[in-house]
Amino acid sequence: MTPNPEGSTFSMTSEAEHLLRLRKWLREVLAGHGVPKQDQPNLLLAVGELCANSIQHAYEGRGGQPITVSVRSSGNSVVIEVEDFGKPFDADRYESPNLEAVPESGYGIFLVKTIADSLSIDVARERGTRWTMVKYLPGRLPAATPGGAATP
Amino acid sequence: MDIDVTQSSGVAVLSPRGDLDMATVHDVRRALSSIFDRGQSRLLIDLNAVAYIDSSGMGTLIAAMKQARAAGGDVRLCGLQDDVRAIFEMTRVVQAMSIHPTRQEALASWR
Repeated sequence: MTPNPEGSTFSMTSEAEHLLRLRKWLREVLAGHGVPKQDQPNLLLAVGELCANSIQHAYEGRGGQPITVSVRSSGNSVVIEVEDFGKPFDADRYESPNLEAVPESGYGIFLVKTIADSLSIDVARERGTRWTMVKYLPGRLPAATPGGAATP
Repeated sequence: MDIDVTQSSGVAVLSPRGDLDMATVHDVRRALSSIFDRGQSRLLIDLNAVAYIDSSGMGTLIAAMKQARAAGGDVRLCGLQDDVRAIFEMTRVVQAMSIHPTRQEALASWR
């Protein structure tokens, strides 16, 4: 698949059975954007977790609601956005899982933060949340800025 | 999700096939409940035919492990593909669960 320079978009509704179809699409698109094969599974997981989060929390289990996933290349990275239009993510109420306690749930956002090189969350919209993950492609990490601070 | 369930020396062996995610996790929960309801608490889940697992799938296995251990047994895992093992490692669950390379080694761990 040759990537569309403007990016590719997948639209689904908030039913978990669409996640399989999303993964099939995403595998092809990531390969087309030059993501190495060994990096693809973790990105599939991260995107899956964000969509599951939208289904479970943003839409509180209600079906038929829109979720979009878009992928584009940006210089030395691939940028993946997941967007929903439900209850916005509340960063103030988010708590990372206590891994020592081996909880049964609550790992989703932790996994996304672990996998992505950077993650931004946009809730300053009319409704919903846009998650933007950036993954730098191998050999193309951003140079450290003068003074020692690396971006992002 | 298709799940084969067999018995081996008092251990219930579950072999799910496919992706273990938010959509299929209820099939696994049903299979696990059925085994617990029979009074068994030694379970082995062979993930050899599972190519993808998300946090809801992993959470279901954790919950089963806790329930089994509370009853004096355990839920052990085997046959993890590299991509599946990754979620257990990122979350450090790999340190909390008994995970073996093969079914044979997992079953032997109970002897």
